[in-house]
Amino acid sequence: MEAASVAQNLGQGAELAGKYLTFSLGNEDYGVGILSVREIIGVMEITAVPHTPSYIKGVINLRGKVIPVLDLRLKFNMNHKEYDERTCIIVVEVQGQTAPVQVGMVVDSVAEVLNIAAGEIEPPPSLGSSSETENILGMAKVKGEVKILLDVDRVVGEGLLQQFAA
Amino acid sequence: MAAGHKPLSELLDEMALKILMIEPGDLSIVGELLDLIEKLLPGRAAADTPMVVQHMAAAFKGALEKFIMGELADSAENYDLLGQCITEMQESVRKEGQPGEKILGQFCDNMKKIGFFLEPSTLLGGQGATAAGTGEAEHDTPVEKECAVVSPRVDAGQAPASGLPSQEAIPDFLQDTDLLAGFIEEAFEHLESIEVNVLELEQSPDDMEIINNIFRPFHTIKGVSGFLNLKTINRLAHATENLLDDVRNGKRAMDSAVIDIVLTVGDALKSMVEDIKNVLQHGPANYKDTDISGFLASITQLQEGDNGAPPAESVVAPELEALPEVVESEEAEPQAGEEAEPVAPARSAIAKAARPVASPRAEATASPSGRPAADSGQKKIGASIKVDVEKLDALVNAVGELVIMQSLVRQNRLVSRIADPKLTKDFSQLTRITSELQRTAMSMRMVPIKQTFDKMIRLVRDLSKKSGKKVDLIMEGADTEIDRNMVDSIYDPLVHMMRNSVDHGISPPADREKVGKPETGTVFLRAYQKGGSMMIEIEDDGEGLNTQKIRKKAIERGLIGESENLSDFELNNLIFLPGFSTADKITDVSGRGVGMDVVKKAVEKLRGKVEVQSQSGKGSLFMIRLPLTLAIIDGIIVRVGSERYIIPTIAIQESMHPERQNYSTVHGRGENLMVRGELVPIIRLYEKFGVESTYTDPCDAIVVVVENEGRRRALMVDELLGKEEVVIKNLGGLDVPGVAGGTILGDGRVGLILDLAGVMANTAD
Repeated sequence: MEAASVAQNLGQGAELAGKYLTFSLGNEDYGVGILSVREIIGVMEITAVPHTPSYIKGVINLRGKVIPVLDLRLKFNMNHKEYDERTCIIVVEVQGQTAPVQVGMVVDSVAEVLNIAAGEIEPPPSLGSSSETENILGMAKVKGEVKILLDVDRVVGEGLLQQFAA
Repeated sequence: MAAGHKPLSELLDEMALKILMIEPGDLSIVGELLDLIEKLLPGRAAADTPMVVQHMAAAFKGALEKFIMGELADSAENYDLLGQCITEMQESVRKEGQPGEKILGQFCDNMKKIGFFLEPSTLLGGQGATAAGTGEAEHDTPVEKECAVVSPRVDAGQAPASGLPSQEAIPDFLQDTDLLAGFIEEAFEHLESIEVNVLELEQSPDDMEIINNIFRPFHTIKGVSGFLNLKTINRLAHATENLLDDVRNGKRAMDSAVIDIVLTVGDALKSMVEDIKNVLQHGPANYKDTDISGFLASITQLQEGDNGAPPAESVVAPELEALPEVVESEEAEPQAGEEAEPVAPARSAIAKAARPVASPRAEATASPSGRPAADSGQKKIGASIKVDVEKLDALVNAVGELVIMQSLVRQNRLVSRIADPKLTKDFSQLTRITSELQRTAMSMRMVPIKQTFDKMIRLVRDLSKKSGKKVDLIMEGADTEIDRNMVDSIYDPLVHMMRNSVDHGISPPADREKVGKPETGTVFLRAYQKGGSMMIEIEDDGEGLNTQKIRKKAIERGLIGESENLSDFELNNLIFLPGFSTADKITDVSGRGVGMDVVKKAVEKLRGKVEVQSQSGKGSLFMIRLPLTLAIIDGIIVRVGSERYIIPTIAIQESMHPERQNYSTVHGRGENLMVRGELVPIIRLYEKFGVESTYTDPCDAIVVVVENEGRRRALMVDELLGKEEVVIKNLGGLDVPGVAGGTILGDGRVGLILDLAGVMANTAD
């Protein structure tokens, strides 16, 4: 995933063009590159893990594999929402310290897979603090709606792959 | 087909027939073949024989010679390939000496498969042809000059062929990476067996069987490396093989000089193979050529010193002349060490240390006694195959999941209500099969610890020579099996402890005699299974730990208070604390203060324990306790609120409903429980992990008394749910203090396995 470096030479937007899985959090629509998505599953029982930030909901059993799950709402400091039948876990694969790791992301609902052209992508807006926009690859305007394209490696990497202090 | 070719094709037909008759082990027919092929060689062949066929014949003859010399495997397979080569020669004749690339390519491929390196261009005499170092090159036609089959000379390892520079600039061995990877793996095994056998040989220098055992791996390495065009390795292995051959033929004695050079060459080869591995993994840019001229020179000197220059080695002579003349073989080796410094830095030191010791017998101090000499080769019964570790791990994981799924199905509410005897029977049958499968899969990951132990023989030998001490190493239980994944991790701690024992434990011979001990010290290395654990013990009959010195140092460092009263056992085990080293002088072996804490950490990482018992003046005993496998842990499942955690059984001492009278607090906070007359701090797991629990009063709940790193704690939980063997899984990128990993419980949910060190660490501050 060269997403991070791609983000740097934005402007062309060409590298960002491609297929994205879109989902919603509250009123906002997001997209993640389809290549990092492994599967989409319904919410299942999550085992809490102590000493982790609140947005890490815990771990689940994905067919015999233990994978961590983080709540994207909490990660982005949005209000918590009770999980319902539309709530989904998107399992993505990102590069861990040594090997690729799979991580689940809890989202309100999953929408569709969109093919986003280079011309539809704009660089992320500056919102004052850089940490807010670091996770964002760009903004896509599709049929009058704005989709926020997420840099999965950063979203997951920053919150997860570091060692937590007690 | 011109009539003029008749004799030629007849010759070839005859050869094809002979090839069919060859049985492995019967070299007489190979000799007849050789006679036949000679008639086709450049200069000997009938005038109308196509040049290309003559070149092919030259290559073919080269291969035959190697069969006769035993340098190529005498196998049916190889003879089949030779047969194909003849077919290709026949084809070439039929095509009037214009066989085209395809046939030549096949010919070369077959030759390569046999182990005889050959480029098609050599046969055609094209530009790609390399050096003309052979006899055929003296021929006058330009085609012939280039025809010179490079291989017979270089490949047969007649040391540096005249035309070739002693070092190659480009790694041209990267053509077949699969083969290369296979070679690397094999080479390491061979080198290890060489080392083990050499050390065994020190005990019985006249044992021909052992000399053969050393000879063979060198031979294989030489053969395969030549085939893969690893010229430096090939040359060095070949030279060493020649030396060993002399020993085998009784031309010279197997003395310490030979043993030393064989060991050094083994080290050098190891580092060269390591380099190749590096190249394979990180690209040709990492290629380093090793200068082996020093080794070659000293090998030649060894050979010459005793029996004049054998013809095979004469090619090395030019290099040798540049070196000061040293005839005495004993003297020759330190030089070798210095020459080859980057590869074998330890070498010169060993050689120097070796000098004061007179006879080869006396210096053979590392003795693997109690081990039958022949067991190395004969242990393996039945065929075995090599399997990728990843595949094996995947299998073990899948089996683990299978076991879990099976219990999930079985516990399903609807299924468990079915009262069908057939189903019950089938289920128990299924359980039997899955547990059998699990056992087998697990056992596949187990390997004897022998491999690791064997490396210690060399270590002790080198250490004792270096420090001028005499040490016997006695190994027991080398067949004890250990999880393959642990083998690598246990090596470093073991090395460290062995060093420690030889360097600090055993005193120099003179000192030992003074205190009435035999001048040769003994180090025991034992492995055995005890309960569900694997035990490794290192015992020496040396000085033992100086408990008073440890106490003084511990007080100096503020690790214990002046007035604290610790038992000798506790004091001795302080050496596992970071930065604790009692060695007065800092040798280059050990004693720099980065000591036993590293061992302890490494062992604990493997979920094991390490302890030391020692008696001043009598010796020390280090005990490492390791789980048999890393994949499974025996644990007690406890419930805290709605969460379930697994506590490793190995750490649990007891569990109880605390009684009010045993419960006490310090300053209203620090909670303690009196357990059998000892105060044990209580850790409320629910507080620690921030979960809701059923009970908040320790006297309503259950406490589990656990011990880790010598500290005891009482963990407060709501309920004990049961004991289970669980498969450990990592948390997929989460690294959390207090949690060692996760496992999938019977109901499909994830349970967390406690890491007691982590759980306790947090409470300390």
